[in-house]
Amino acid sequence: MNEAVRRKDMLPLLSAGLLVLLATAGCAPFERASPPAAGVEADAPKKPLAEAQGAPTPAPEVKPAAPEPAAPPAAPPPADTPATRTVEPAAPATPPGAEKPAAKAPAEPAPKKQTAAAPAQPPLDLNALEKRLKDTDAIGVFTKLTLKNQVDDLLAQFEAHHGGANRTSLAALRQPYDLLIIKVLSLLQDRDARLANDLVQSREAIWSILSDPAKFQRLVNENRS
Amino acid sequence: MMKSMMRWVLMAVATALSAGTASAAESLSKDLTSTIALLGLPCGQVVTAQRVAEDDYLVTCKDKNRYRVYVNAKGRVVAEKR
Repeated sequence: MNEAVRRKDMLPLLSAGLLVLLATAGCAPFERASPPAAGVEADAPKKPLAEAQGAPTPAPEVKPAAPEPAAPPAAPPPADTPATRTVEPAAPATPPGAEKPAAKAPAEPAPKKQTAAAPAQPPLDLNALEKRLKDTDAIGVFTKLTLKNQVDDLLAQFEAHHGGANRTSLAALRQPYDLLIIKVLSLLQDRDARLANDLVQSREAIWSILSDPAKFQRLVNENRS
Repeated sequence: MMKSMMRWVLMAVATALSAGTASAAESLSKDLTSTIALLGLPCGQVVTAQRVAEDDYLVTCKDKNRYRVYVNAKGRVVAEKR
């Protein structure tokens, strides 16, 4: 009799325990599943960053690359050159797999095309980039204005350099240029990762314009008109 | 019944409005913080920002530094130590 009463008393406790167990078990996969989802976005800017710095890091992508040969058509990023380039390391990744020779065949020609496209600079649209910087919500108005002032100062230094008024070397101008890019990137990277990524991609192209007197003059004329 | 519903609606509106104001103040302080940092001045973080005029703020930093941040006639952002 007493046991029956005890069991009755235990029933709510047991059911509560079961509920807690179910709840925690239900949460567990969500916690694991969410990081990869976030990782896709977070990785996007990081990969090109590593590329821009010429970091040879094909190793971490070895494993995921193996199943990817089938994925290329499903990947919408091919429009962006960075995504296609990140697949590049997949080429060395397939040989270690060495499971199916049939899978190797389609994987090998693709990287050749990508390696051929890799040296080409990404298309640079300075006006679009400028507009996106103006429109982004990631940077406040005061900050944007301060950045614009600093960009103008740097452009004045380049103008003086190309005009012969300033004897600072191009190498010396590279440092403030890099610093300014880093400032902008630090402001953008958390809140507008895509723009930060595009800026990283355009970094060398912008430098090539600034460092070339003819291209720079054309840019100045365009801005004045 | 109607009175209690009205109370709830008013409370919700007030909460939404205060949340909006808070986020605006937060974004302004972030903006001023990064502005002062870009100008290479010590601040840490902007704690209070008092609007003096349009594009003109009196700012107090976490490290007790005070600045007047404004846009001058030439269109340059200036942070003057106070």
